[in-house]
Amino acid sequence: MSEPMLTIKNLTKTYQDSPEQPKILADLNLTVDREEFLCILGPSGCGKTTLLRCIAGFENFEGEILVNGVSRKEPGSDRIMVFQTFEQLFPWKTVEGNITWPLKKTGMTDKTERHRCAMEALAKVKLADYAHYYPHQLSGGMKQRVAIARALALKSEIILMDEPFAALDALTRRELQNELLTLSAAEHRTILFVTHNIQEAVILGTRNIVLQKGGKIIFDEKNTLPKPSTPSSPGFAEVWQRMRDAIYANENAE
Amino acid sequence: MKTSEKASGKTAEHLARIIFLLAVLGIWEYVARARLLGPRSELIFPSLEAIGRAFLRNFSKGYAGNSLWIYIGNSMKLLLTGLLIGNGLAFLLSGIAAVNHTFYSIYNLVISVCDLLPGVALLPVVIVIFGVKSGVIVFLVIHAVLWPMSRSILDGFMAVPMIYVEAGKNIGLRGVGLLFGIYLPASIAYIVSGLKVGWARAWRGLISAEMIFGIASCPGIGLFINQMRTNMNNAEMYATLVVIIIIGVIVQYGILTPIEKNTVKKWGMAR
Amino acid sequence: MKKKNVIKTMILTATVGCMTVLGGCGGSAPAAETTSAAPASNEAAAEVTAADETLSLAYQYGLSYAPAVIAQSEGLIEKAYEEATGAKLTVNWNQMSSGADINTAIASGDLQAGFMGVGPAVTGVTKGLGYKIFTNLSGQEHGMTSNDPSITGLGDLVGSDKQIALVNIGSFQHIILAKALAENGFDAHALDASIVAMKHPDGMAALESGSVACHLTSSPYIFKERDNGDLHELTEVANAYSADKSFIVGIAAEDLHDNKPAVYKALCDGIQAGMDLINSDPEKAASITCELDGNTLEVELDYMKKGVYSADTKGLFDLASFMYENAFIENDPQSYENLVFDNVKGN
Repeated sequence: MSEPMLTIKNLTKTYQDSPEQPKILADLNLTVDREEFLCILGPSGCGKTTLLRCIAGFENFEGEILVNGVSRKEPGSDRIMVFQTFEQLFPWKTVEGNITWPLKKTGMTDKTERHRCAMEALAKVKLADYAHYYPHQLSGGMKQRVAIARALALKSEIILMDEPFAALDALTRRELQNELLTLSAAEHRTILFVTHNIQEAVILGTRNIVLQKGGKIIFDEKNTLPKPSTPSSPGFAEVWQRMRDAIYANENAE
Repeated sequence: MKTSEKASGKTAEHLARIIFLLAVLGIWEYVARARLLGPRSELIFPSLEAIGRAFLRNFSKGYAGNSLWIYIGNSMKLLLTGLLIGNGLAFLLSGIAAVNHTFYSIYNLVISVCDLLPGVALLPVVIVIFGVKSGVIVFLVIHAVLWPMSRSILDGFMAVPMIYVEAGKNIGLRGVGLLFGIYLPASIAYIVSGLKVGWARAWRGLISAEMIFGIASCPGIGLFINQMRTNMNNAEMYATLVVIIIIGVIVQYGILTPIEKNTVKKWGMAR
Repeated sequence: MKKKNVIKTMILTATVGCMTVLGGCGGSAPAAETTSAAPASNEAAAEVTAADETLSLAYQYGLSYAPAVIAQSEGLIEKAYEEATGAKLTVNWNQMSSGADINTAIASGDLQAGFMGVGPAVTGVTKGLGYKIFTNLSGQEHGMTSNDPSITGLGDLVGSDKQIALVNIGSFQHIILAKALAENGFDAHALDASIVAMKHPDGMAALESGSVACHLTSSPYIFKERDNGDLHELTEVANAYSADKSFIVGIAAEDLHDNKPAVYKALCDGIQAGMDLINSDPEKAASITCELDGNTLEVELDYMKKGVYSADTKGLFDLASFMYENAFIENDPQSYENLVFDNVKGN
């Protein structure tokens, strides 16, 4: 492997207004390789969302976060975030506008090129027919697809996904997992994917980590199951069990 | 099926409105015709026909050699100037308040205090400071729109969901870019309601200011009403009130409703 | 009758606005909301003889209304009625802010009498509001002062862009400006476009701060302005209408005059008694009004002595004719008798 895509050194995060509180993240070190699909699991409050927000640049932190070897403290379109909430699209822009406008703001000056990029990205998430809809006319699953299309169109090297499918019904969730799997294989992006769902992690991740409260990594394992995998694939149950044990051991230790 | 139901509901709504309006006019006409207000009833409570004739007379004959158009024109000129400056200032000052915390806390206080002061009560002070010009009326219009508009904008900014702000920061927006790209469109519902409140206050404020502080060289609708009242020309006075209502309705349905339809409603941001 | 009144009150409240008709009550029936002491059984009685009655009056604020203020605080109208008939009269006093408001209220039948400037009174009579002047109340000094040394007469203002503050367009002060212009060979409306309508104290403040060039006002503001060394007076205006001429008059509904002569007479006598007190014992009169006017006794007395309080009108018909000829009113007053009741003397 070449130079790591993302390097996190001694990351520590406390909330400023309560310095006596235990640290959300303490001295966390993590390296993510190019094109890795890293799933981050852990109990509620273990700091996995905070970790993602620090990487995105939404939070102040101590330590260092390097993207391609360059320190990052502020938000930027090289690390695009896909949130859990459906309301992450700009309601005052059409589906297409939700993609072309960020493209314009990130320096794509050619209008036809923006349109082409947006339509290409929408086609990838099967929403090309909805380009002129407004977000409030879409279902939750469609909104999440647009958010993913936005991240794809922006050519962000790192896509940060914070439980993007958690609020979806099981059927839509399965559908989107499959699409994301296909896209991640085709798009060569580095994806950090926070989830509560072990099965989701086993299906999607090429590497899975489990965080303990305080942000300590207690499980870190490459997922070598051939994709696409299903719960009936050989080896799936074992991976699933190992991760579950890690999360449970962690919870029992509390 | 569903749309036709909706459409018939709309028709019923319109019908109810028309019936209500006719009922009000009917009661008015009954009171006028039955001379319920005593022997001088027609002077203080003229019939619809008398008001209609006065309406035409206002535009043909007018007062002091000027048709009502002239008065409307003068008022509109002052009103538009005031609205433009007032709303512009509201956006500018609220924008500064949005990015500078010290300015925000001061401006917030200023809004709270100034919004309580009736413009007409400020007249003597305003006259001493600005002199006796039609600018005084413009000042009062600005006073009428600036504070409610600023309040709406700032409340709107406060209510912008963090997710839009973060999504905006994520694509590299900062400062002014964030203000125009995210905060303004995201608080559109507040801004539109601010426009509505501001317009109504400005229109009312303008007329009451003109009724108290009349500049004969630039006479407006308020002065016209006051003259009609002083001369006991009540039919003309009511006819002028009808003109005021008509202008208000035109602005509401010709300007404000389309703005709302093309923003808040279209974007599904109505609350 | 009573039901009709309720309807009337409701409609008026909705249209004219509650402030202007606050406490107003109509016709010969007692008002539901005022302090009427008349028993309900008497409400329809319109007899000349000793019956308990109610009278609703409107007045405005200031020294020009002193005889009415004194009649109110001393109960002079009530006393006159009791002495003449032995019965009780309840008088409801309503303070209103302009002659136009009083005109509306009296046209609706909610007031039977009131006090206002000759301008709105002549407007009301010639409009056919169903009332006439029953007494003169006072004459006061009027005048115009300026803060601009280059203005020495009305001629300096005609054709200039200098502004003149006065209380309202079409007001009494506007009329005497027109009169002064006409008497000095100018067009009566030559300065109409120079007028800025402002209340007396605001106009004085605007003049002192230099926001306007001139202020045309009446007692007591004109005295204060004359005392100010930075201001000088344009005497044409004061000469056009001297203090002995009618300024404030009392008006009464024809209905009251025709159908309730005892009440009408008590009204005339009570106001006369108020004027008599001012003329015979100004110190006592001033001590009654000074607190209301916010002046010290000395100042109030001084101002009061400069006013002329007489029941006889003076210059009334001349002024009414001038108003008609110069389009301040639409209908020709025709004769002095058209304006006043038969008991009023003067011209």
